Amino acid sequence: MILNKESVALMQKKASQYPRRKSGILPALTIAYRQVGHLNDQIYREIAKAINVPYVEVAEAATFYTMFPKQPTGKYLIQVCHNISCALLGADSLVEYLEQKLGIKKGETTKDNLFTLISVECLGSCATAPMMQINMDYYENLTRAKVDKILEELRAKA
Amino acid sequence: MSTSTTTQPAVKMVTLTINDQSVTVPKGTTVLQAALGAGIHIPTFCWHPKLKSVGACRICYVEIEKMPKLQVSCATEATDGMVVKTESDIVKRGRKAVLEFILANHPLDCPTCDKGGECDLQNLTFAHGLDDSRFDFLKRRHIVPGVPSTFDDLRIGPEIMLNRNRCILCYKCVRSNKEAFGEYDIGAFERGNAMEINAAPGEQVANPFSGNLVEICPVGALTNSDWRYKIRVWLTQTTPSIDIFNSSGSNILFYKEDHKNRIFRTISRRNDEIDDGWITDVARYGYQLVHSPDRLQKPLMKKGSKQVPVEWEEAVAFVARRLAEIDDTKGCVCIGGLASPTLDLDSLHSFSKFMRKVIGTNNLDFRIDYRSLPEKPDSAFSTLSSQPFTIAEIDTSDVIFVFGSDLVKEHPNEYLRIRKARNFGRPLVYSVNSFNVKSADVADREFIYAPGTEEVFINGLCLAAIEENPGLSGADGLKRKISPADLNSAAKTCGVSAEDLKALARTLINGKKISFIVGDQVSLSRDREVIAAALCNLNRLVGITSRGQMAALARYADSIGAEKLGLIPNPHPDVKRALTDLWGGFPEMAGYHTEGMFSQMLKGELDAMVILGANPVAMYPDHEAVAETFEKLDFLVVADLFETETTAMADVVLPLASWTEFAGRYVNLEGRIQKAERAIKPLYESKPAYAILADIAAAARKPLFSSAREREEEIEKVLACTTVRPWPGDYLDVRPPAIDKDPAYPIMLIIGDDPHHRCYVTEKAASLVKFCSDAYIELSPELAEKFKVEDGDAVRVESKYGKLMAPVKVSRVLEGDVVFLPRNFSVTRANSLVSRKARIDWVRINKVSG
Amino acid sequence: MKEILKALINVFLKMPQGFVVTLKHVFKKPVTLDYPREKKPMAPRYRGRHYLERYEDGTERCVCCGLCAAACPADAIYMEPEETPNGERKAKVYEINLLRCIFCGFCEEACPEEAIFLGQEYEFSDFNRDSFIWRKEDMLVPHPRKDNPFKRIIRRVRRVYGVPDAAR
Repeated sequence: MILNKESVALMQKKASQYPRRKSGILPALTIAYRQVGHLNDQIYREIAKAINVPYVEVAEAATFYTMFPKQPTGKYLIQVCHNISCALLGADSLVEYLEQKLGIKKGETTKDNLFTLISVECLGSCATAPMMQINMDYYENLTRAKVDKILEELRAKA
Repeated sequence: MSTSTTTQPAVKMVTLTINDQSVTVPKGTTVLQAALGAGIHIPTFCWHPKLKSVGACRICYVEIEKMPKLQVSCATEATDGMVVKTESDIVKRGRKAVLEFILANHPLDCPTCDKGGECDLQNLTFAHGLDDSRFDFLKRRHIVPGVPSTFDDLRIGPEIMLNRNRCILCYKCVRSNKEAFGEYDIGAFERGNAMEINAAPGEQVANPFSGNLVEICPVGALTNSDWRYKIRVWLTQTTPSIDIFNSSGSNILFYKEDHKNRIFRTISRRNDEIDDGWITDVARYGYQLVHSPDRLQKPLMKKGSKQVPVEWEEAVAFVARRLAEIDDTKGCVCIGGLASPTLDLDSLHSFSKFMRKVIGTNNLDFRIDYRSLPEKPDSAFSTLSSQPFTIAEIDTSDVIFVFGSDLVKEHPNEYLRIRKARNFGRPLVYSVNSFNVKSADVADREFIYAPGTEEVFINGLCLAAIEENPGLSGADGLKRKISPADLNSAAKTCGVSAEDLKALARTLINGKKISFIVGDQVSLSRDREVIAAALCNLNRLVGITSRGQMAALARYADSIGAEKLGLIPNPHPDVKRALTDLWGGFPEMAGYHTEGMFSQMLKGELDAMVILGANPVAMYPDHEAVAETFEKLDFLVVADLFETETTAMADVVLPLASWTEFAGRYVNLEGRIQKAERAIKPLYESKPAYAILADIAAAARKPLFSSAREREEEIEKVLACTTVRPWPGDYLDVRPPAIDKDPAYPIMLIIGDDPHHRCYVTEKAASLVKFCSDAYIELSPELAEKFKVEDGDAVRVESKYGKLMAPVKVSRVLEGDVVFLPRNFSVTRANSLVSRKARIDWVRINKVSG
Repeated sequence: MKEILKALINVFLKMPQGFVVTLKHVFKKPVTLDYPREKKPMAPRYRGRHYLERYEDGTERCVCCGLCAAACPADAIYMEPEETPNGERKAKVYEINLLRCIFCGFCEEACPEEAIFLGQEYEFSDFNRDSFIWRKEDMLVPHPRKDNPFKRIIRRVRRVYGVPDAAR
């Protein structure tokens, strides 16, 4: 079992709040993601068993939502928005800068298992473009200097 | 969606105009259905008549006046005064645009695609599409890793190949799998451009209805290896036929090639009364056994200790001579006959006439795998099994009660019906069984009674009904005839609580239309007479048949036909009278049924057997005892498709033609007579059973029929008799027999068909073997944990009568001390574990180490 | 008298004229060929025996789609497909009955893979009818003609209709 007892209990509680058990899949995926940090087939199976829904429906929902990483990520998942507003304000060069700075390509994880860099679709913060999301936090109006500072802080925290 | 208007009297009708044509349909009908009903064609990909609409493909665009944009007709409800145009310029432009988008990623590989020639997309592109694409970029390609192929085909099941490039994402496969079959092994993953249909990660699409997914695929994304790269569809001819592996007799269509004398595939021939267009994999791939290289090619005759091939004339003359000799020396009482209930009406009637008229005996039967047979002709079980039952009535029932049946394995079409009823209506479905079954997933509640307490459960139901409604007629009379006579002790014995029994009784009393299905747990039980008596009491008390239907469903393709033609020693009096009239006489002797014949054989009082298409040595309970019985015979003649355990003991073996090789009629469980046309010429030297019998009768100088016309007329006259037996006039005694249980054998054994096999013949069908090639012990996760076994580990199963070894399959449905063993495999004969004398087959299992 | 004069004119005047024509042709190149030692070059679009093409890497172009057989007005083509080990489709049996074939070239026109075309050879004779059923191996031989003018036309027609060239 990858999921711990608390997660399973929480999933079951959430699932029981909906008129259809199927509706409990998304909260369950979120709970599993919060605990494990990513999702995989084994986790889908455990969720299916925990909230008693078909395994394939869990897998369908999980693969539909690209926001759930399907591979283990570093401690900090850097998601750079690459949609129109951010792109116009230099998201591409931001990604390049991050790649260069972290020494990895897009989609990879640093050797010390600290950072994973991906680019994502619009995160709804166009007014403050370019922006990125690291784990659950938004970092907005980015410049190279700002990125340096953020990374340093995170490194220090880790 | 329910098409029946008789049960819902107040259906509001709406009138709309489609292409200047006024159409009136019930409210709730979609525009698409209204148009199709009026004979106006609208192209579709994702719509299926038996599934809910999703509007995924958008090819069914129509123009509706006062609506600003084109509407998808499959998801637009028809309303009063709607004006619809299906062929206007704007509609055509819309369709063209949709096709252009679909073709943006659909590869142009029609030459290598098996769907080419019968592809909806191909036809529509030809009719509406552009001859050019405006998409300059490369098409999306789902590459299968590790396969050096440009074709990108992925095997997602034993029989199913998936080409995701060709997929147009109509979701029909996923929807039908979830909605119609209740299976969850295929899904739609990812999203956007990367979206793909695929098997659930780490799983195979191997459910018993998986062939339907291929059939309904509008493009060549799903293909089956059965038909893959074999022949082009336009080179084949079609023959309508019937599925004979199943008692509902789903309608099928064979694709065959006349010059090659070969069938290439089976698809369904939708019949809304029976199958709704869904057929099981057994029906779909079962035809392959016809082309098996193991088919008997020539008649075999025992010369010395070996069976050697001989010519037909020699074999037939020998059979006629030997039967006449035995008749002369020992009398016709010493000759018996068994015919398979999967034979056609002509063969069965010829058999009846051959045994009764030519030989003059009444020892004949068609019930080949029953444990015990009713002695009295008007037994409770005969009543129960002769009751009329209509499959389509399930759709409109509001209470569906499945008693003692593992529907997926026994009656798959009825299982799909119940599922459909649940999808489109709100019936209450109850599944009552002594072990957990897959088909219970359609049930609102599943009840498990203690093994061998069927009659106690039904008694409990009667008692609960009396408590719920004391005014029921004759309640006191019933109470005197049954034991235990109080609800609580009945509930305690059968292991279902009194409250549950009361709730069940309440639904049975209040149900407006009830479908009560009785399955194999009753039909094949040693004490089925007692259980049937209890069910008769229940019907008398609650009046189920006055508000619906209740029957022990027939199990084989022509069981009802055999019953109607009187292929039992004591046929229904009307049938007996008709036969006497036709033949000018009927054997005086009482005759023995299967069980009786076997005991006579064991005593040495029955010396010759004629067996048509049956394998009692492998199918009848207690393998060793039956084998021993057959060894005592002086003369055994068997006609079959393959060499079996029974043919191995025969003096003469005759090659039988399969149902595809001659035109035959079959009576399904509803009593519906259906015809299977001849698809191919008989292979090798095989002959249909009626021709074999006619030959033997001619050799004995007692010709059966002067012409085929005479045979047909006789059958018609016999079939005209009703064989429905009246319900008993009073409550019947129900005294549950004691259940024998030895603590040394704690586990209940269930023997039945694997969902992908039927009887003993389907192991010759190559595709079905791919799904399941060998016997297995299906056991509950608890038992697996207890014995520390996993999938594939070998276990020894031991009963008082025999033992065998088989690999383990951990079940997803079974719970508790129950194991299931399929009876379809010649390597592992399940019948060696069971006895005719036991009510429940108790076994013990242990792990085979190493 | 008049007739005699006419005959004399014919003999002494007209006949030498004819001889002169004959004599002229003696010094001209003959129009006949010394067949079979010498063969007539066929028109570029002549339709003779069938060839099956291969790709550069040696795999057969034919995928056994059956369109040539479907297009064949004489029903001369028989084929059976099979699956290669890596899941591709190819012909297991591909036979053309040259006795039935009317050399119309419809097969060539129908072929979506440009796998079959009709060559220049026209000499078919044998003592045995069976030898006229050509198998796949008989047609998958290296062929003398590199460019097929007819294929050029097909490609042009395809371009007009926007069908991409099947050649990979």
